[in-house]
Amino acid sequence: QSSSVSEPPAPPGTVCILVDSRCLSGGVELMTSLRQRHTATLHVCSLDGSYFIVSNRTAVERHSQSDLAATQNRKRLAERVNSLQGLFERVCLIVEKDRTKPGEVSRPFQRTRCYDSTLTALVHTGVRLLWSDGAEQSAGLLADLARLEQRKGQAIAVPMEVKGPHRQQALQLYLSLPSVNYVHALSMCHNFSSIGQLINSSIEAIQKGGCMSRSRAEEIYCFLRYSCDSFLMNTSKAGKIS
Amino acid sequence: MEIKAPSLLNAVPPYGHVITSEKWRTSSLIQSLKGGGVKILFEKELGVADFHLPNRSCILYVSECDIIAGNSYKRKLVRYRNTSSSFQELVLVENTRLSEQYFSAVQKFVVFDLGLTLLPVSGQTEASQLISQIVHGEGRENPFRRRSSSRLLDPQVLALVQRVPGVGRVKALALLQHFSSIHQLCNAAPQELEPIVGQAAAQQIHSFFHKPTAAGT
Repeated sequence: QSSSVSEPPAPPGTVCILVDSRCLSGGVELMTSLRQRHTATLHVCSLDGSYFIVSNRTAVERHSQSDLAATQNRKRLAERVNSLQGLFERVCLIVEKDRTKPGEVSRPFQRTRCYDSTLTALVHTGVRLLWSDGAEQSAGLLADLARLEQRKGQAIAVPMEVKGPHRQQALQLYLSLPSVNYVHALSMCHNFSSIGQLINSSIEAIQKGGCMSRSRAEEIYCFLRYSCDSFLMNTSKAGKIS
Repeated sequence: MEIKAPSLLNAVPPYGHVITSEKWRTSSLIQSLKGGGVKILFEKELGVADFHLPNRSCILYVSECDIIAGNSYKRKLVRYRNTSSSFQELVLVENTRLSEQYFSAVQKFVVFDLGLTLLPVSGQTEASQLISQIVHGEGRENPFRRRSSSRLLDPQVLALVQRVPGVGRVKALALLQHFSSIHQLCNAAPQELEPIVGQAAAQQIHSFFHKPTAAGT
């Protein structure tokens, strides 16, 4: 192989994106654009919220501008962002301009104090914000993000589908490990020969097989060896101990 | 190139204050910041940044003019990014009717190429609202701040064991009383499981853990 081949102008190959099934409603335009204009491979699955996964470590949520401006959404948004940050190293938010209905005159967006303070808080927690005019542009941003992650060697590299009932069950089991997101679980499904092999793996092997960070792998390693107190479990029937 | 007073690059203004460079003195942005109760400190040698805020963030302001006039703002952005300050670097971009056609290119450059945070504003008035929000919001609790949750692991272990087909809550509890961790449970022989859950379930549990999942290896 010659090493003097110049880099192709457009990034070759396709990017893989996981999509939560809840993104489908109201997301047809975006999905079509992702598939056709950006030749992305999409796989719809059931995640724990309506978001996209563009790499081993990055999740993307899509919100309308008025969503962010409304005070009543603040608490829910904070919970969502918190849980995503527990599962992913990087969390992006695409802020999309509100759609105007046909015939309606587009009104300029009224910035509220709540909107500004939400933005400030998000930025300060390390959430990356991206701005979009509409579905078409959001699709472009998602594809760009996935490509960027691909260049950094973080692309989703395992098949996005899991076939067979036993492997499905294994996937579900992996998903109930702490701090494990869907891509980690997928990777474990494909990279470990059995559930037992994962359970008996070293931290390094979990990190490699799960395509995850060292600290996450450590957390799983310890969790698998965590010794339960049967008294605590019986009292935890109600769910909460505070 | 001369380097002047590098300490100023990391000057954090006191609470309720903003440090800004002289060129902003007469701007409408500063006027409305003052109106919003933000105190302004002017500084000649602030470096590339336009504003330093008390929460250790700084702002570079890219105006409509900058964008339309072309490339010099890009060089400024790169310099901004390369200043090794300990601040969180924000970029405010004027997204107006005139500049909106360039916005997506600007965003690509700022966010994807430089990895900075971009916040669009419609003009100096919105910018001043945003800045005063950052300044005044500093003392308040951030609802998006991740609380380090020290949840009990026991219920999570129990939940995971119930993912094994044929194992409900009762069997899971019984199993965990004998094998206190998932690791131990997985490595138990069917004969060891049998007295707890019966022969059929013991076989099922054992084979669930050891049946191949990956197609390749």
